[in-house]
Amino acid sequence: MSWSLARKVSAALVALLLCTGLLTAVFGYYKFEDVLSSLVRSRYSFVVFTIKKNVEDRLNLGFALRQLRQIQEAIELEKVRDDQVLGIEIYDSRGEVLFNTDRGGIGTSVPAKWLEPLEATTTQPFSLLDEDAQLVGLPLVNTLGKVEGAVVLRFPAAFLERELGQLLGRLALELLAALAGFSVIAAVASYALLGSVGRRLGGMERTLDKVLADGGFAEPDPRDEGGFETRFAEFVLKTREAVDHISESTDEVERLDRLA
Amino acid sequence: MRLDSSRPLLIRLFILAVLVLVPPVAIVSYWAMGEFERGMIPEMDKKAAVVGRDVTAQVERAVDLGIPLDGLVGVDEFFAPILQANPEIRYLAITGPGGRVLFARGIAKETLAGHLMRAAPAGDDGKAAIGPYLDLALPVGSRAGIGGQVHVGFDQGYIGTRLGDIFYDIVVVLAASLIVAFEILMFVVFFNITGPMKLAAAVVDRARRGDFTHVPGGVSGDEVGHFIRTLSTTIRRADEQFRSLMAYIDEVRTAHFDKTVVERAGEIAERVRFLYRFSETGRPLVIRDQLATDIRLPLFLFVFAEEMGRSFMPLYAREFGTSFAGLSAEMLMALPIVMFMVGITVASTWAGAAIARLGTRRVFLTGLIPAAGGYFLTAFAESVGQLICLRILSGLGYALVTVACQTYIARATVEEKRAQGLGVYVGAVLTASICGTAMGGVLAERVGFDATFVISSLLAAISGWLVHRLLDAGQDGGADRNDGDGDGKSLLRLFANWRFSALLLFAAVPAKMALTGFLFFLVPLILWKAGLTLPEIGRTAVLYPVVMAVLSAVSSRLSDRMGWRSGLVAAGGLIGGLGLLTPLLPLGLDAPTGVALAIVALGISHGLSASPQLALVPDVCWIECQSFGRTKVLALVRTVERFGSIIGPILAAAFIPAWGLDGAVVVLGSVVLALSVIFMLCSFAFGSGLHIVAEEDEE
Repeated sequence: MSWSLARKVSAALVALLLCTGLLTAVFGYYKFEDVLSSLVRSRYSFVVFTIKKNVEDRLNLGFALRQLRQIQEAIELEKVRDDQVLGIEIYDSRGEVLFNTDRGGIGTSVPAKWLEPLEATTTQPFSLLDEDAQLVGLPLVNTLGKVEGAVVLRFPAAFLERELGQLLGRLALELLAALAGFSVIAAVASYALLGSVGRRLGGMERTLDKVLADGGFAEPDPRDEGGFETRFAEFVLKTREAVDHISESTDEVERLDRLA
Repeated sequence: MRLDSSRPLLIRLFILAVLVLVPPVAIVSYWAMGEFERGMIPEMDKKAAVVGRDVTAQVERAVDLGIPLDGLVGVDEFFAPILQANPEIRYLAITGPGGRVLFARGIAKETLAGHLMRAAPAGDDGKAAIGPYLDLALPVGSRAGIGGQVHVGFDQGYIGTRLGDIFYDIVVVLAASLIVAFEILMFVVFFNITGPMKLAAAVVDRARRGDFTHVPGGVSGDEVGHFIRTLSTTIRRADEQFRSLMAYIDEVRTAHFDKTVVERAGEIAERVRFLYRFSETGRPLVIRDQLATDIRLPLFLFVFAEEMGRSFMPLYAREFGTSFAGLSAEMLMALPIVMFMVGITVASTWAGAAIARLGTRRVFLTGLIPAAGGYFLTAFAESVGQLICLRILSGLGYALVTVACQTYIARATVEEKRAQGLGVYVGAVLTASICGTAMGGVLAERVGFDATFVISSLLAAISGWLVHRLLDAGQDGGADRNDGDGDGKSLLRLFANWRFSALLLFAAVPAKMALTGFLFFLVPLILWKAGLTLPEIGRTAVLYPVVMAVLSAVSSRLSDRMGWRSGLVAAGGLIGGLGLLTPLLPLGLDAPTGVALAIVALGISHGLSASPQLALVPDVCWIECQSFGRTKVLALVRTVERFGSIIGPILAAAFIPAWGLDGAVVVLGSVVLALSVIFMLCSFAFGSGLHIVAEEDEE
């Protein structure tokens, strides 16, 4: 398939436009997701932090973790306050769930990877990904500095898509519309810009054909003094002259040949 | 608009590219930022509510125990960790029944009181805009009939600030896209229009003087290709008519018995040959031209690929651990950069010979295998040892590819336009450096280091595909025009020329030391330690090629016009050395600002000195350039200055344990400055004009 100049340039521009648009959209979306996720995580970290404080205050009074029955109500209250929260669990250092907003889960064991953050000496919040849920947690530490267990809060991993699906869908449509619109502009402008190049070259070709076939002159644009078109006009003239001269010479040789 | 000139068309096309690329991205980004901001507000409100609820619960408990609101103790200590852990909250406060501010942290009581007095009443949700803050007020002590309030204050501009990073990422992508667009459009124009039209113009110029010996080569399916074919066909037809006539005349001269006819036919042939020239070889010769710009896009993409890792290479090396073969952690981070430079140095020494034997196209494609393979495998490296080996491999390939490009450009450019040819190379490298450094940081943060290296290998592969498709396989090869003679050993005699040695040791080597030691190695470490993200590191590091790109054009002109080459080289060296002493200045700058200043100084330094330094070489060893060939002398300069590239990161890594990161910058800067001062003193004795007396003649 032969591609015209305008088609080549417009294809390059449209490809660049699409790449730029999609790259900025992807980077923008993920950055937004990062910022929003960190905000959501920090909110849940705060909730977890308040539960941790609540539990540790009682641990400091000398109670054992599994004795803190009031904590069950506290975590259920926190879950009720926020419908995005999938569940809150408190488990001991061996991984046994002691309190859970889903009461059926009490007594079960947490996955091994939930215990890994407890081995670290840090008391910073930790994040985990569990199938389709995200977790934020904090270790529970007694007055002697011993890790007694942890509290974790689960919330949906796809919260952003769920909460902002409509907004993101609308933005995606707007982006596609803008890209499509400007792609058309790019194509039209390329044809307008490079069309003149094609027309001028086509005009020169036609002149060359016409002068060689019928005679006459190629008339260059007077503004193009010393430019390509002026030199091309001289070329056309010279070529015509050469062709005529060779043709006349051939006739002359034929005439001489016939004289014999 | 002239058809055989690229400038007007390029300007128009670039304006079109800007008009097509910038508005849609800007418009959609503007909408998106507004939507994102609105999308985040409910989440901020929830966060404020959670914090406010907890604080209120604590205060309620105290009030329920009978403690008066204004008699609470330790409120400041209670608020402090909450504010510290939640940077989006600017202040926490408790107000009494009459709205009197009892406690406040993060804002002065008087300021908050003033804002509260002037503020419009809060809505049902307790939210009100007060001054630059969004204030959430929650009632406290209502059961005891006290009527106080807990206030949680957010900075109204906080969301905008957090979303600011998105803006910078968009600007980086847009700027990189515009540069790529410029490179692609330039390629399309030169390859499809200007190049073929220059060939057509050359043929037309010959033919309008009656010389029909040549036709333009190259055929494409576009309008220019069609025009070229028509032109060729016309000349070929004339050529065929001429050959028919000559064949007829030969027949008449051989077979005719009438001498007058034979003589007359001979006269006709002589007259035609006198008036017009046709090819002696039996058909018109096809002219093909090699343009320096043909290689620009592949070179741009290749350097883009390499530069992607520039802003994070030491940080990537650090991920592989801190112990290997008894080397310090800093040395381990420096080694990938060092060994890459070693690879370049080793390959540079025999790249010229390989090109003379195989040609630029094949050397480019050969070099691409270790380079792109190195990038690809780096993504899967599992130890620092593997990383180092792969960087050597990439360095070998990088040298082959870049030397092949330099040679291609040199061969495609006539001697009088060598500076323009050099401009094509430098332009491609600098623009690729700007795009690669900035985009590498953005990509690495989003997709990770490994995926960024995979993308690098893809870009390198695309550059190879372009060279494979676009460059004519049988077009190049052979030695350079001004290769001269003399082997490597005799070339070392150049060092007997003290001017040459001084230029290399006290100007070229320290410049490279500063570049690799500071910019490639120390900058990522310092900025990372200062808490900057990878895109921010990339954006800071990109200041170097930006400043250099702006200044190098100016300094080339200055150096050519005023002939003040050694002065510019000396000034550049001093500025670079002094710039690295920025941490010593008592300006109270934070680390990123200090580093940015030092990078700008380095960009100014190299922008001023890079071109004059190369131009100075023939000045200080003119005779040697004539006897060995300028290409070989310049190759020696490149090889020696690469020792500076190798030493730079090693020195910087060795300085860190003793003086820390800032100290390493200062000590490295001191070394560069000291060497530059020596060069400055030497340059006073350089004299002006060409140095035409060889050192051995002086002895």
